Amino acid sequence: MSAVGSFLWEFLRGTWDLLWKMFVIIVPIMVILEVSEGRRWFRALARGWARLLRPLGLSEETATPTLVGFLFGLAYGGGVIVRDVRRGTIGRRQVFLMSLFLSMVHAIVEDSLILIAVGASAVWVFGFRIVWAGIVTLLVGAVATALVRRHRKRRG
Amino acid sequence: MSGDRPTQPPRQDDRREEAREPVPTQAVLLEPRPLRPALLAGTRIGVRTFAEMALAMVPAYFAALLLEKLGVIDVLSDWAEPVMGVMGLPGSAALPLVLACLLNIYAAIGAMQALPLSGEQITVLAIVILISHNLIVEGAVVHKAGMNGVFFSLLRLAAGLTAGIIVNLLFGILS
Repeated sequence: MSAVGSFLWEFLRGTWDLLWKMFVIIVPIMVILEVSEGRRWFRALARGWARLLRPLGLSEETATPTLVGFLFGLAYGGGVIVRDVRRGTIGRRQVFLMSLFLSMVHAIVEDSLILIAVGASAVWVFGFRIVWAGIVTLLVGAVATALVRRHRKRRG
Repeated sequence: MSGDRPTQPPRQDDRREEAREPVPTQAVLLEPRPLRPALLAGTRIGVRTFAEMALAMVPAYFAALLLEKLGVIDVLSDWAEPVMGVMGLPGSAALPLVLACLLNIYAAIGAMQALPLSGEQITVLAIVILISHNLIVEGAVVHKAGMNGVFFSLLRLAAGLTAGIIVNLLFGILS
């Protein structure tokens, strides 16, 4: 097979792997969210999770996307962010803070386990990364907030 | 970053009963919905979100694969080699790191297993990779969420390397 042909073949196979896995995960997540959001147990869960994230400046409306991203992966959390921005329940500042947090830590189960399987320390992989995500979210969030405030003040 | 207001006014929503009146904040979280409409709405939103994410991710995946085939990985690994020492890693660990950033964690693990790394070195490299991976495709995801994907990908690279330096220092202090 020619070089271009084998490249396209690999691209198609990789795309197929990416897409079917995403479809099989994202549709059930959205169905479960539609069924559960608003129910008492889900609200309790969201409130508990939001309480953990509140020190980072994240509001209660960000509980669902951050929880989905934290557990399953950035693409899924990102999908819920897109949904909630469209619904108008979260603003740009919250999206920025969520993106910071989820950039540092997402797919906590799958990604961490495959690296622990090849010999990384579980305590460090889980513990340090979660602490680090908090530090980065606080620091970059504070810098960005200060910059926006200064920018606004200058423009009057 | 323009305050806590929504980026766009609430538009035509996926659930019809809400579309008639503007959605007050948190309304979505407060009302339990009957099962059947919820199942339908969830499926619809899921398929729509899937399509939107796929449209952003597939071109990014194409770009990442193209860069790999063009030999960018070897060039970047050569660049990264001298830097690996600040994280207590051998120069050869540059290859799995670059593979992780450009492609994904699975590609990196394959290259990692060929290297003679100590337990602590594996942990340092794992933490860097867990923070900074799949930057092109996930940059497209962040972009789709309305943020600057390039900024976030570069931030992840910087934060990952900084984390590696810190963990290596902590290992030095603790041992």
